[in-house]
Amino acid sequence: MIKSIEWKVGGQQGEGVDSTGEIFAKTLFRYGYYVTSYKQFMSRIKGGHTNYKIRATQERTNYAGEQLNILLCLDQETLQVNEHELADGAVVIMEGDTSVRAEKHYTIAAFPLKKLATELGNALAKNMIALGISGALIGLPKEEFFLFIEDVFEKKGEQVILSNKAAVEKGYELVAQHLQHLVKPLEHVQKQDRLYISGNEATAFGSFMAGCRFLSAYPITPASEIMEWLSAQLPKVGGTVMQVEDEIAGITFAIGAAYAGARAMTSTSGPGISLKTEALGLAGMSETPIVIVDSQRSGPSTGLPTKHEQSDLQHMLYGTHGEIPRIVLYPSTIEDAFYIAAEAFNLAETYQCPVFVALDLVLSMNKTTVPPFDSTRVPITRGKLVTEEEAKSYGEHIFKRYRFTDDGISPRVLPGTAGGVHTASSNEHGEDGYITEDPEIRTQIMRKRMEKIKTAAIQNPYYSKNEDADVILVGMGSTRGIIEEALDVFEREGVRVGHVQIQQLHPLPIDRIAPILTGKKVISIENNYEGQLLNWLKQHLPIHSNAHKITQYDGNPFVLSRVIQEVRELI
Amino acid sequence: MATVKDFKGDSSTWCPGCGDYSVMAALQKAAVNLGLEPHEIVTVTGIGCSSKISEYMRTYGFHTLHGRSLPVAQGAKMANPNLKVIAAGGDGDGYGIGLGHFNHAVRRNIDITYLVMDNQIYGLTKGQTSPRSNHGFVTKTTQKGNKEYPVDPLSTAISNGCTFVAQAFSGDVKGLTEIIEKALEHKGFSLVNIFSPCVTFNKINTYDFFREHLVKVDEPFHTREEAIQIIKQQQGLLTGILFVEEREDFQEQLGIDWNMLAVKEGSMDEGQLRSFETLFK
Repeated sequence: MIKSIEWKVGGQQGEGVDSTGEIFAKTLFRYGYYVTSYKQFMSRIKGGHTNYKIRATQERTNYAGEQLNILLCLDQETLQVNEHELADGAVVIMEGDTSVRAEKHYTIAAFPLKKLATELGNALAKNMIALGISGALIGLPKEEFFLFIEDVFEKKGEQVILSNKAAVEKGYELVAQHLQHLVKPLEHVQKQDRLYISGNEATAFGSFMAGCRFLSAYPITPASEIMEWLSAQLPKVGGTVMQVEDEIAGITFAIGAAYAGARAMTSTSGPGISLKTEALGLAGMSETPIVIVDSQRSGPSTGLPTKHEQSDLQHMLYGTHGEIPRIVLYPSTIEDAFYIAAEAFNLAETYQCPVFVALDLVLSMNKTTVPPFDSTRVPITRGKLVTEEEAKSYGEHIFKRYRFTDDGISPRVLPGTAGGVHTASSNEHGEDGYITEDPEIRTQIMRKRMEKIKTAAIQNPYYSKNEDADVILVGMGSTRGIIEEALDVFEREGVRVGHVQIQQLHPLPIDRIAPILTGKKVISIENNYEGQLLNWLKQHLPIHSNAHKITQYDGNPFVLSRVIQEVRELI
Repeated sequence: MATVKDFKGDSSTWCPGCGDYSVMAALQKAAVNLGLEPHEIVTVTGIGCSSKISEYMRTYGFHTLHGRSLPVAQGAKMANPNLKVIAAGGDGDGYGIGLGHFNHAVRRNIDITYLVMDNQIYGLTKGQTSPRSNHGFVTKTTQKGNKEYPVDPLSTAISNGCTFVAQAFSGDVKGLTEIIEKALEHKGFSLVNIFSPCVTFNKINTYDFFREHLVKVDEPFHTREEAIQIIKQQQGLLTGILFVEEREDFQEQLGIDWNMLAVKEGSMDEGQLRSFETLFK
């Protein structure tokens, strides 16, 4: 009995790689396994190698692994590209005349999948035969597939369901006839009430549950799914998504909607953030609460549009001319993407400023298993939003929208409210919103704006483990999974290493992380050239003398073996 | 009932004689005539002399970025359809940096009114050529005469499907007020391009120039083709409501039960959370 499995399907884009991966992942997920996936694709519609990797485990993990037990090749290139990941004893399934042969440290099992599928009356079902083979190789009851097929193809009718079931059945037969000696059954586990969800979906869902009712955006990889999911779901609750003419309209529509009182957001990637930076300043200056999701990809410029990177950090921290208050959050797991997206709306409204939710391609596009979300963990708070009665009680002809207060946060009133009439402004302004160039007012209101966010904090501004270790690995976003795995490896070797994954980048929770990092060997692990996170930490903490970075910016996420090796060289 | 006085905001810094004074007066009068209260109106502006109208008018105002009044205004209207939303700015703001947004706002048909104070020059930056400056127009940046031809906002709007297109003149406050009233009442996107002379920098397109050249149109044209043809014939020197089409606005087309502002403090909706979670099982 095995307790985990790593599986991958690869082929040309447009060959059904994604749907095949999705079906297998979801089948394992429904069987009760914890599934983490990793998708690799190119910036084109058809052609070019693409693959879908799955790691199914009994314990929770945030890393899709790098030791394949089964590789399903829908084209010749798949074996070539992925051979280095094959574990000892792996099985490679491919198209060809029926044969089973040992190769190096793995076995190649070839079957005439296309021909067999055609014989069954549905040439498209060749991938289902291959899935049947995959399932049989790990002793998965075929009923698990059948349940899923019934679900997925319900709308397509009985005939489609039957032909797909027959194809899966064929796969099981082929294993029984030719590969029985290679079957390694996966241990049966208790089915769990869990979700299988991507980072983009979790971000969209968290926003939705926090009461976001308006998203305006422009399509861009890898953020588009956020817009797509909300497009389908928001109208059900009286909200809407607008796909607007450009990135500038994406943010300015959201600013208009937020000004008028909706919880509003825009989602994009680095190139979009570049275009949005002017309006980012507007949100900061006018104290308009908006949420901006930056699902990062490889830059600069158009860079590698479908590849992973974590290089927009400085952009989010400093972007726009002049200085504005801003909050920058960066969930490190798909589960946290839900809660942090929800918290982002609370912070935006409480502190009346733009809030970034940073994602990266790996976190955005891949899926994992998470427990059902907790509806009580992030209560909705709308900040100092005044009612008509309160607004009238001020008795002002022009409501002082930017009123000086002890905490720097002014009562906010929505258009349409009698007693609250005022002008919000992109120009420097006084308490009433009217333009001013008075140096004293400028100084005071600048200080108010900048300092109001000092107390901003999310529930888990960072994740940490082994805080007292002498060596601390730090990271942000999706590198959490790989660093967790690295810690496990070191622990097995008896080497004590700590881990801090920062989830609130600005304002940085200095008081809490300073005691963990000061006086230690700090090694940051980041997917960018400069070591942007480490540079940011160095600005705030006295860690210069013993700080190191491990960076990778080739478009792909880290693999565990490399991280282990490089950390080992540094400690 | 609000009076014109209720619509007065900050004191203005416009030059004496600026056409924008009349635009503001007409807008205030139109609002009063329609029985609107200052808190029911949102005036969203871009950047430039005319964009300061959001400060000088006493309504909810949002003085935004150069060329971005339209997307901000549309976003505000999307969030709260009960607001009367006006976008305003100059020809540089709207037809230069904002031309892309203009075309999309026109074809989208969200129910807002767009007032463009067209002085055919850049005033606040002290006299450079604008997208509405005539061919051959001499400015600090076109010392040998403008080599470009002006944007035609009327034909552009009409050909892109605008449902209300009008042009007016600051020198005729009565006519301007009537047109703005009609524009505010129109359901859908309404454009009012207003010749609003810059008395400081534009010595060609003056009040006298417009009094001499403008031709009044009494009835809107029946077809878009006819409207475009006559606008071309008259070199755009027309006033009046030029084209109107009754069509469902963007929000009506969505046909959803509007509920954007209903976010309440407290826990997330447990029932909703569980029901949407089924999408991920």
